[in-house]
Amino acid sequence: MRSLGRYLLMRTLLTIPMIFVLVTMVFIILRVMPGDPVKASIRPGAPQEYIDEIRHSLGLDKPLYVQYGEYLWDLLHFDLGTTLSPVRGQSVAEQIWQHFPATLELSLAAMLVTAVVGIGLGAYAAHHRRSLADYSLRLYGIVIYSIPVFWLGLMFQLVFGVWLGWLPIAGRISSLSAAPEHITGLYTVDSILTHNWPALKDSVLHLIMPAMTLGLYLSGVFVRLTRSNMLQVLKMDFVTAARARGIPERTVVYRHALKNALIPIITMLGLQFALLLAGAVLTESTFSWPGLGRFLVERITYRDFPSIQGTVVVFALLVASVSLLVDILYAWIDPRIRY
Amino acid sequence: MSKRKIFFVVLALAVVLALGLTACQKATPAPTQAPSGGEEATEAPTEAPAQSSEPIIIGTTDKVTDLDPANAYDFHTWEIFHNTMDTLLHYKPGTTDLEPGLAESYDVSDDGLEYTFHLRQGLKFNDGTPFNADAVKWSIDRVFKIQGDPNWLVTSFVDHVEVVDEYTVKFVLKKAVNYFPLLVATYPYAPVSPNCYPADEIASDSTCGGIGPYKIDKWVRDVEMDLVANPNWYGEPPKTSNIIIKYFADATTMRLALENGEIDVATKSLNPTDYADLKSNPDIQVVEGPGAQIRYIVFNVKMAPFDNKLVREAISYAVDRQAIVDKAFQGTHEPLYSMVPMGMWSHIDAFPKRDLEKAKELLQEAGYSEDNPMEIDLWWTPTHYGDTESDVASLVKAALEETGMIKVNLQSAEWATYTEQFGSMGMFLLGWYPDYIDPDNYTYPFAASDASDDIGCNYASEKMDELFQQEQSATDLRGDARKQVFEEIQKLWAEDVPTLPLTQGKLMVAARKNISGIVLDPVMLNHYFLLEKTK
Repeated sequence: MRSLGRYLLMRTLLTIPMIFVLVTMVFIILRVMPGDPVKASIRPGAPQEYIDEIRHSLGLDKPLYVQYGEYLWDLLHFDLGTTLSPVRGQSVAEQIWQHFPATLELSLAAMLVTAVVGIGLGAYAAHHRRSLADYSLRLYGIVIYSIPVFWLGLMFQLVFGVWLGWLPIAGRISSLSAAPEHITGLYTVDSILTHNWPALKDSVLHLIMPAMTLGLYLSGVFVRLTRSNMLQVLKMDFVTAARARGIPERTVVYRHALKNALIPIITMLGLQFALLLAGAVLTESTFSWPGLGRFLVERITYRDFPSIQGTVVVFALLVASVSLLVDILYAWIDPRIRY
Repeated sequence: MSKRKIFFVVLALAVVLALGLTACQKATPAPTQAPSGGEEATEAPTEAPAQSSEPIIIGTTDKVTDLDPANAYDFHTWEIFHNTMDTLLHYKPGTTDLEPGLAESYDVSDDGLEYTFHLRQGLKFNDGTPFNADAVKWSIDRVFKIQGDPNWLVTSFVDHVEVVDEYTVKFVLKKAVNYFPLLVATYPYAPVSPNCYPADEIASDSTCGGIGPYKIDKWVRDVEMDLVANPNWYGEPPKTSNIIIKYFADATTMRLALENGEIDVATKSLNPTDYADLKSNPDIQVVEGPGAQIRYIVFNVKMAPFDNKLVREAISYAVDRQAIVDKAFQGTHEPLYSMVPMGMWSHIDAFPKRDLEKAKELLQEAGYSEDNPMEIDLWWTPTHYGDTESDVASLVKAALEETGMIKVNLQSAEWATYTEQFGSMGMFLLGWYPDYIDPDNYTYPFAASDASDDIGCNYASEKMDELFQQEQSATDLRGDARKQVFEEIQKLWAEDVPTLPLTQGKLMVAARKNISGIVLDPVMLNHYFLLEKTK
């Protein structure tokens, strides 16, 4: 365990240069790519003097290395700066904090869908190898992964929102219901904590389609991964031994084999987290989900440098923390693993 | 066995999804939301004649920028102001005529330099602060201090404001401007409560409002805004006591939400194809009105080959406005032959209709031929004018290349980049929404020698400047003399072609059939207070 502790410490420390490199890259890319945050936020034809005045007041006329130095200094003090556009002077950290719970709720729900659907169907396919179900699921794995996630979302909206009228199309909660009292910012959790059952029903209904969209999109990889791992495990001696002892096949497959096939899958869940956040950017736009992904897209079009940088830092921290968490889980599940 | 069924369901769903792509039509929209009574306006207006308490939900893809009239300069935020903060004068809904707002009347001095407004008495801001001349002066002084984006609408014209007595306020102008009453109807002039807004800082998230038919009850940026009727409103109470505005990231999602009844009204903006589809939906109405937004090409007249007037003129003969209207905008725009929009006072069709032969003649005169074609770049932006923009650019290219003497390279840049390139692009597509409803606002910013470079046009003509001087100093805002000057401006425009008008957009709103009171006018701000839900 001591070696694990040292490993975790190293990993945590390595996160710092990683964020530094990332922030530097984002900082440079944003400044190198054309586009001016001031001009993007005001109407065409504004006098140049006025534009210069705003640029000056925002410090955008300072040399780049000065801006970069100031940004890093602020970052060291956990200050993400203030927004440039379309609204000037709002705290970026506050903006991110406001949008974060929506993304977290969507990501967790999507991860759940991915895990249940991906692992469940993958195990089922392995169990029924070379059956019609197996072939269909393998096809599903490829198709669902290659479908653009926003298209999948649109189709869900059309079928379940408009044609069948079962699920709401946009937002986190209906306009006519009040959002639950803010505790965690996750509407479903807050509704439960405050015993606000109408809000719980409403927020769950709103969550289903975006979570299914994002979750199913990622489930393809897991169907294939679980299937191939399961096939390997099912050939192992302990499975044969279990079968020989007369343990029911269902128990052998879903209890003994699946558990042993899970380790690489959990690693994959961690690795896919970055992809999940990328998918969330598109899914949030499709479902008007007021999360960080939608915030990021909007701020990119406005060239709101501090907001973009801040969101990227938060995303990077999230990905780094999740992969760290996965490493811990990994060691915990498989006692043979040493660092 | 039951699990096997699931796979077939999945397969069937995949087929349905694939079909859905090609046949994006509505089936039977099932309203999922039984309005559960909602929350009624906290205080009902005392003399409300049959005010509906059932909320109306309006969807939009626009965004609120700063909820502060000293810095907001975009249509949607102004629309919120239109419903929550009145100005001294305002436009009568459905018209472009001004009528008294927070001022009952006004006088103009003989030299046109002093406008004295007589204010309504006994009004209060939402925080209880009394409305008086001090508040008006304070609000204007605040615009001077903050120097926000739309400040020029005040600071370029007003020298200072004087309090004459408690309910009389005088605006002293820097120079006589006959359209000053139109400027007073813009939102930087909206009086706000001195006790609710900071004197020299922008209050981006302030929900204080001014004095309007509604007040802001709740606001979550980019998610939702709830408006409730203002019980202290001096005018007729709003038809519906509670309006909810829901913000969408995507036009298609908004359309679907309208179809399934999640929202009652969809405004600014659905895609042109959506309007065509929604017209055939029996539960939806599409209301069209005169719009004041125009689309046009800007030439940088100092950059070759556009520094040659013959080239610009040839392009004006070669563009095919009808094709743009039919194919790109699918009837949601109309061809436009002047920078002054149709339906606006003094408009004339100054530009010629399409004439390819004439275009070829002019090109030949400019030294080009089929063997020696003119190669030009046409710039457009995919991120500011919606999905139709690439079609507009392609159609302009196709029309010009039909001459056989022009070769057009399409160049695109994101809006943030695009605006930065003004001055270095030779020919580019742009759009205009009015600040105030007067032809001056559609002409001066482009062709006055002291403003043209800001838009990347660089046009300068002594004759044009003189005409602007004449129209701005004419005594009668809607008099014949001024009208004649504007006609001359439009004719000179068609000769010099600093910009080339293409189309004028109609204002379109899609709503559930049970919504009435949708009144559209060229001012382009929706009147929430007239909306009503029946059944």
